[in-house]
Amino acid sequence: MRLVASTGGKGGTGKSTFAVLYALKLSKEGKKVLLCDCDVECPNDHLLLGVKLHEGKPIYQDFPRVNAEKCVSCGLCSEICKENAIFWIKGKPPMIFEDLCSGCGACWIVCPQQAIERKKKAVGEIFETRLSGNLWLVTGMSKPGVSETGPVVKEVKKRALELAEDIGVDVLIVDTAPGTHCNVIQALLGCDKAYVVTEPTPLGSHDASLILELLKIMDVPSEIVLNKADVGDASIIEEIIKKYGVQISVKIPYSEKLIKAYSEGRLDRMVNLL
Amino acid sequence: MNIVVASGKGGTGKSMLASSLSLLFSKEAKVVACDCDVDAPNLGLWLGVTSYDIVEPISTSEKAEIDSEKCIGCGKCFENCSFGAIEKIDSKFIVNPLLCEGCGVCKIVCPAEAVKTKPVMNGEIRIKKTVWGFPLVSGHLKPGETGSGRIVQELRKKADEIDHDVMILDAAAGIGCPVIASVTNCDYAVLVTEPTPSAFSDLERILEIVNHFKVPYGVVVNKWDVNPPVSEKIISWSGDRFLGRISYDREVVNSIVALRPVLASESKVKSEIISVYEKIRNLLHKQ
Repeated sequence: MRLVASTGGKGGTGKSTFAVLYALKLSKEGKKVLLCDCDVECPNDHLLLGVKLHEGKPIYQDFPRVNAEKCVSCGLCSEICKENAIFWIKGKPPMIFEDLCSGCGACWIVCPQQAIERKKKAVGEIFETRLSGNLWLVTGMSKPGVSETGPVVKEVKKRALELAEDIGVDVLIVDTAPGTHCNVIQALLGCDKAYVVTEPTPLGSHDASLILELLKIMDVPSEIVLNKADVGDASIIEEIIKKYGVQISVKIPYSEKLIKAYSEGRLDRMVNLL
Repeated sequence: MNIVVASGKGGTGKSMLASSLSLLFSKEAKVVACDCDVDAPNLGLWLGVTSYDIVEPISTSEKAEIDSEKCIGCGKCFENCSFGAIEKIDSKFIVNPLLCEGCGVCKIVCPAEAVKTKPVMNGEIRIKKTVWGFPLVSGHLKPGETGSGRIVQELRKKADEIDHDVMILDAAAGIGCPVIASVTNCDYAVLVTEPTPSAFSDLERILEIVNHFKVPYGVVVNKWDVNPPVSEKIISWSGDRFLGRISYDREVVNSIVALRPVLASESKVKSEIISVYEKIRNLLHKQ
């Protein structure tokens, strides 16, 4: 099985559009394909395919809760917390700010009184959709308010890999979030190849160079997908192509038909663009 | 006064609008512009900034390291790591620095004192007095590093030290830690969307964050004319939160290619952006 990613650094360059078109194209050619939407903060692949998600399976993570009766107000938990999520005043039990908490567990491990209990909290959901005889979609969706979404991506990808193994897919396509931080890194781990979807503007080139830098560190071979290839100035991309020794493998022109198909959840009409 | 520009979905026009609002507010108030999209900072490009006056490396994260000599292979670190950052190689354990969040759990649970955590320089804060008269404070996360939310917190502290009346914050895409760090403690949120089901779905998700922090908000529909029926749907959904619509114009792309603010171009969107600005200003004056 081949594991490929659609990524790009910048948002709105067409990562999901490319991932969906590529999945449709390969499945049309008779390959067994699994598309995994790892942009868990804002997953959109299902909307581009015009499908509704059903029966999400929850993803749980443990978070701390203070048992005030057991707490001796030693302050160790507050001291150990690297996220500054635990506020403590001498003589009182600590207060935990869930917005800041990453769920790392340092506090309940150091608490000498076992006064910090682990409380299971749903941090997201996984949806599995069979789109056709040989095309599957696994979608991850984080719960709004969850700050660290890397662990959600990890679970979604784990499930996608299991399913891919079970059904014996030929290609697993991972669609990542924009940016370069933990949620994107989790999605890119172990990929055989990454398609960096960008556009010929200084914004596209700047952000593509950041993700190419990350892919270099991660040792993932990369190719460029130039979207809206005729809007802007294609020479802007030349510099990063030289710097990172990558090639443009696909060019997608600006197309009002594509925007319409995207809006209507009918990207299947545009497969011949690739 | 802190005004954050956010959207959930990427590429809807946050930085374009944040740069424009900074320019417009700077005509009557002291402005500081903040690029809080530390993964992919682009606000500077929209303001014609290609170099910075101050570049300060910062450390907002740590990474663990396991001394293989001391490691006894018990696997406690592996079992307790919430981020999957510990890998087993032969009978020993190592840290994958790409996944390590520096929480220190491995160090706490290690019975052999084999783990150390060290601060890493994971980013930069860059400051530039723009040619438009106001300063830009921009955060940059190093590719491969973690701790983007904390870089946002640091850059906001830096920006607060600069004398200002209005802070414009350009948030990242998504709804995770860097966005949460950008939205918290803001007085108003400008939510930019575009007429597609994806952008609308992401707008509803960012709204959960904005409502969680009880930040008043308004909605701008960018590139509204590429799909007028969906635009109308979003506008009626927004009700009295609707701030205005901005047209699709290739002149906007030409502006960024020339590294020139949209307001310095001849684009038809200029008057539309000014009307959004006036609406926000009037709303905030009433508060």
